[in-house]
Amino acid sequence: MDKLLRSLHTLGALVMFIGQVARSAVTPPVYLGETLRMMNVLAKRCVIPVSLAVAPVGAVISLQGISIFKLFGAERMLSSFLGTAIFREYSPALASVMVAAQAGSSIAARIGTMKVRGQIDALAVMSVDPVRYVVVPGVLACVIVAPLLSVLTNLLGVFSGWVFAVPIGGIDHGAFMEHLTAQITPADLWIGLGKCSLFGLGVGLIAGYLGLNVGKGAADVGKAANDTVVSTIVLILLVDYAVSMALLGAGL
Amino acid sequence: MADPTSTPDDTPAVVLDNVSKSFGDHTVLDGVSLTIQRGSIAVMLGPSGTGKSVLLRCLVGLLQPDRGRVLVFGEDVAALDEKRAADRKRLFAIRRRFGMLFQDGALFDDMTVFDNVAFPMRLHTQLSEQAIHEKVSDRLARVGVAHAEQKFPSELSGGMRKRVAFARAIAIDPDIVLCDEPSSGLDPVMSATLDELILELHRTLGMTFIIISHDTAEARKVADTIGMLANGKLVTFGPAEQVFAENHPALEQFFTRATVGPIKVV
Ligand SMILES: Nc1ncnc2c1ncn2[C@@H]1O[C@H](COP(=O)(O)OP(=O)(O)O)[C@@H](O)[C@H]1O
Ligand SMILES: [Mg+2]
Repeated sequence: MDKLLRSLHTLGALVMFIGQVARSAVTPPVYLGETLRMMNVLAKRCVIPVSLAVAPVGAVISLQGISIFKLFGAERMLSSFLGTAIFREYSPALASVMVAAQAGSSIAARIGTMKVRGQIDALAVMSVDPVRYVVVPGVLACVIVAPLLSVLTNLLGVFSGWVFAVPIGGIDHGAFMEHLTAQITPADLWIGLGKCSLFGLGVGLIAGYLGLNVGKGAADVGKAANDTVVSTIVLILLVDYAVSMALLGAGL
Repeated sequence: MADPTSTPDDTPAVVLDNVSKSFGDHTVLDGVSLTIQRGSIAVMLGPSGTGKSVLLRCLVGLLQPDRGRVLVFGEDVAALDEKRAADRKRLFAIRRRFGMLFQDGALFDDMTVFDNVAFPMRLHTQLSEQAIHEKVSDRLARVGVAHAEQKFPSELSGGMRKRVAFARAIAIDPDIVLCDEPSSGLDPVMSATLDELILELHRTLGMTFIIISHDTAEARKVADTIGMLANGKLVTFGPAEQVFAENHPALEQFFTRATVGPIKVV
């Protein structure tokens, strides 16, 4: 009972926090320089891990796919399966999970460190709203960087799939390119980017909330970073599943 | 920025009216009342853990007292809730009249020394980057860290961080400067230099200082008002000569570094 009350309290605080972030993001002053700086930091932190995560996926789909498609004599069609899998599912999910792991943890750790070392109070005493100055730039950066990363993972996933299908697997390059986009529509690409922005939003908000509400010491900062990663990854996978089901249901 | 015209001249800089603050069942401030006139230098003494920092945090609205009023130039900060947008605006307007040196500096880790001191100038003044450069260099030279402009806080000693934090606190010529133990961690020469600087800023710009200190030499040198906080109560407070003359037992114990007296080591 006590636990339930506390969860409700946290949920209420989170909702209020989200309201404050939303209001701060659309009313002046907006700290654009901080936002650009955060985008730069986050993009640099994410680009290599996200590449390393998606490249093997494209390769594995091609490797596994060829042997199965061959049973039906349909290996020319392989790329349509690869394209669908990468563009619709793997690319947005992997990009988002990596944003959660890298960007989410670094935002939560940065804000948490500022909090335990009194820098958040210092900002407030200098009449700078910490939500505006440190939370909003992190949230905006996640919302923008996550879809940009998924563009990268789209290209890389397809490229590594191509390497294992065409030069190594012996599939005709023309056929590969012809079928690559056969099963996907521009809407799929937009939905993928939209999902990434949505997940980036969730990562930025949760990281900001847990960072600002960190406990008292260095160990609590680690905990805030860790909690951010775990909760956002679970959230991403659940919401991704729900969105995919809903879109399939809607015939998209 | 020093703007003596904005409120009548005789409004005190700070009035605490029966302020109490507890954390759980631990009462830290227990009905503290005091008045600090504008343009004065008040030094607050007291053993560690009695709530001196809590007192300063109440002045700028970082903590809300459970009871009592905290008047800054006549406006009650304790009645403002930072979580509410309208109150936040009022609070931020009041805070712009403060500069604050936190006990552990609270410099921004990801900014150089220069950018730390320039930060409030860039946010709250219309100064050109050129003018900011000159002013920051001047402030850093006065606290003796001109050579470290481009260093990051993590590359400085504790005493240097404190001096940079002082430079940041006075960056935009605030009306009231709050200093939480400015001299702890400084060598005697540096500490004396800082005292001189406080006296000079007081003389030339008329800044009001509220200084928390353990350093009795510093108190004698700069204070025109002295207060002592012990066990949640203000045990003495008043003009420096008077307080020194009356020689309250707690103050006496503090000044003579005696282990026996009203201040209990728990
Ligand atoms: N945010 C807080 N939450 C709980 N207790 C606090 C908080 N801030 C200060 N305290 C407690 O209040 C007391 C006074 O602290 P402080 O004002 O920092 O002492 P000092 O006089 O040394 O500056 C200490 O016992 C401290 O543990
Ligand atoms: Mg203190």
